[in-house]
Amino acid sequence: MMNSLTIKIKRYDGEKTWYQSYILPYEKGRTILWSLTTIRETLDSTLVYTSACQHGICGSCAIKVNGKSFLACQTPLDKVIETFQTTELIYEPLANFTVIRDLAVAWEPKMAKMKKIKPWLIPTEEGSEEKGFLQSNEDFHKIASSTDCILCGICASECNQLHVNESNFLEPFIWNRAYRYAVDSRDKSPEAHVGPAYENELWKCLHCMACVTNCPKHIDLTEEISSLRKMSIRMGETKNQGARHAFAFFNDVKNNGHLNEMMLPIKTDGVIKTAATKLPFALRMIKTGKINPLERPKKVDGIEGVQKIYDYAEEVENK
Amino acid sequence: MKKYDVVVVGAGGAGMQAALNAAKGSKLSVVVLSKIFPTRSHTGAAQGGINAALGYRDRTDSIEKHFKDTVKGSDFLADQDAVHFFCENMPKIISELDYIGVPFSRDVNGHVAQRPFGGASSPRTCYSADKTGHAILHALYEQCLKNDVIFLDDWFLLSLSVDNGIFEGLVAMNMREGKIEAIQARAVVIATGGFGRVFWSRTTNAINMTGDGTAACFNAGIPLKDPEFVQFHPTGLASTGVLLSEACRGEGGYLLNKEGERFMERYAPGKMELAPRDLVARSIETEIKEGRGFGEGMKSYVLMDLRHLGAEKIMERLPHVRELALNFEGVDLVNELVPIRPSCHYMMGGIHVTDFQTLATPVDGIHAVGECCSVSIHGANRLGGNSVADVVLFGKFAGIGARQTAERRDFAPTGKLEEELKRWREEFGRMRAKKSGIKFFEIRDRMAETMWYNVGIFRTETEMAQALKTIDAAIEAYKDVYIGDSSEKYNMAFINYVEVGNLLKLAKAVALGALNRKESRGSHARADYPKRDDQHFLAHTLVYYDGGNYRLEYAPVKITTYQPEERKY
Repeated sequence: MMNSLTIKIKRYDGEKTWYQSYILPYEKGRTILWSLTTIRETLDSTLVYTSACQHGICGSCAIKVNGKSFLACQTPLDKVIETFQTTELIYEPLANFTVIRDLAVAWEPKMAKMKKIKPWLIPTEEGSEEKGFLQSNEDFHKIASSTDCILCGICASECNQLHVNESNFLEPFIWNRAYRYAVDSRDKSPEAHVGPAYENELWKCLHCMACVTNCPKHIDLTEEISSLRKMSIRMGETKNQGARHAFAFFNDVKNNGHLNEMMLPIKTDGVIKTAATKLPFALRMIKTGKINPLERPKKVDGIEGVQKIYDYAEEVENK
Repeated sequence: MKKYDVVVVGAGGAGMQAALNAAKGSKLSVVVLSKIFPTRSHTGAAQGGINAALGYRDRTDSIEKHFKDTVKGSDFLADQDAVHFFCENMPKIISELDYIGVPFSRDVNGHVAQRPFGGASSPRTCYSADKTGHAILHALYEQCLKNDVIFLDDWFLLSLSVDNGIFEGLVAMNMREGKIEAIQARAVVIATGGFGRVFWSRTTNAINMTGDGTAACFNAGIPLKDPEFVQFHPTGLASTGVLLSEACRGEGGYLLNKEGERFMERYAPGKMELAPRDLVARSIETEIKEGRGFGEGMKSYVLMDLRHLGAEKIMERLPHVRELALNFEGVDLVNELVPIRPSCHYMMGGIHVTDFQTLATPVDGIHAVGECCSVSIHGANRLGGNSVADVVLFGKFAGIGARQTAERRDFAPTGKLEEELKRWREEFGRMRAKKSGIKFFEIRDRMAETMWYNVGIFRTETEMAQALKTIDAAIEAYKDVYIGDSSEKYNMAFINYVEVGNLLKLAKAVALGALNRKESRGSHARADYPKRDDQHFLAHTLVYYDGGNYRLEYAPVKITTYQPEERKY
């Protein structure tokens, strides 16, 4: 039976950083936000965090608990305790954000980045200020999920690419905005959103799914990033590492039913770059029998079936 | 000293619309101050929709019907010229929102979809699933990014400086730096939202809905109009007060008591669950009072049943509501009943606006828009779907109005403004240094408790007199508050202290307005005066704050078309 919770909070006053512990009585059915409010109102009124609507729509209150990011208002403490199997919780501000004080982070630098992908509608001639637009229900559904984004920052905090590459790589919520406008039937210029996405390291997403797994609105961000990549290829952006890598996969499997791992780096990076960067690695792989340079890839049995799947997928895609 | 032609305070739907329109086609310097990052604003919490008589779903709908419904819903306290202007302009506003990319749900013809809502004679509520305010707020923010609107995030309004009726500017705190500054302005638009937090935990309002702009205007000598009219939303979640959209009733949800009856039959046999909010909230409380609710005391509730809508409709039209019930009450609407109880939702009253086309107040240079003010189009009870409509439409006209003001009005001298600046800097220093006293949280809770029990859904003379006593005592105790944080930077304790001061000042105006209105009208239900009294109270309350004293006056209601009649549903 739990009686109390120990909550250790990462504090920051603009100059120094420290961890401070608070002990709270355990109460069933409470949220992370409850613990913050209770600490502030009963133990320490210097604690700073941000919160507003308290029901998961304003996006203010995301923080990290034991290394994972949560929306504090809608996450039950019981769930956190069960997940981490402990009543000792560590609260920290979101990762990949500039901290203002304690758990409060700054959004302005992120919005400056978001402007790059033109997060606004570039209206087609079919609409007007006087009459609005016609949009089919099907087309509305293409933007229904992506417009659920509340800018809570959890995806950015969990993003593994941003951990090593914060300056250029865009936050998942920014990819989402680019996607949202690129697929909006009322937007006449998808390339105005996809282009800057492409130029800001669109192909560097690791597809680790950390953003999708943690998004409190269940937005399929990784799938959106894939779509943006496809759109960039359709726009003619094929002469890049990411697109070549994707084509190598696509063609190998289509032609032979499996991947030719030996040729993958050459198709992606070209002979010279591969030789310069991957030769020792390739030699080691040959030595240990991981790849055989003499082997000519054979078509798998039932390759016709694979190709049918390709045809079907393309048919669905082009619908 | 900072100097701008137009300063907008508040970055919700109203504030952003005002900023976009103040800057449009002009060379004026426009800035938006907000105590939070713009997309956190409470406009985003609006769920069910936005009313406009487009007639897509029901061809017989018309501006006249929207007008009549709003006037009737207001229990005839709305100013009819303003309501007509509002209804007339709403269809175009929806097109404008569509044109900037608001993701509206669609009907089979590709038009913006519309649904039925309480008190509406035709289904005219446009929506984006059940996150309409969120969709609109983000689209407006994106327009601000596109148009390079300058935001000062984490800036908190402390006061407006008005010297003998001349508006000079405002004093605000840059919270991150802990610096208090004066800002000179030709025009200001106050768009700071409502003050439902006078009921603290019994409200659907965000934690920061503390009426800072309303209190600043009140302090500066602008009266509050009709503060006693407080809307209680019928369907707050029982245990937390979290809002479940009116769309639940709009889509066909039932309300059931302990006996399993659809009890609205007793109170509004014609419209049933789709009666307006004031009536439904009172019906629920009456059921509870007469022993037909579930639970006891503060934990009492009735049930809402959506199961017959089916999973598909719930997922399509009410996905956010379903998540809320799951996350905050542990109930799945698809196959379970959800416990609900009314919760303070909206303030019909607020800063006295005198011109509905420019949103001007009695002080030249000061405009006010949205829930912080009262135009009045909502009168004694606002219809669901009319509040986001209000902020988007009047936000636009406030922006245009402020632009016109700034183009004609010069900067005023800054004598009083500098005094105000000095006073606030001293106050911040004093509060940072103060080491003992009463915690402001305690005072806040005392206020909220007395407001809920004594100035709530049903009101009586004795109870309200008691509330006034408690509030006066709280105002006295507030003088000895200490905040417990001596930091300069991002001192949220100081901000919350000022917010509680604002709430106390406004709570007293609510109680006084309610005590003096000896009738029942719209959301204001007096057990001791159960009838509407048009002879004495078909009038707007105006509460003035002169040198610390509250003074009440009454002003006539503008009636152009519909004479008051009995309000039946």
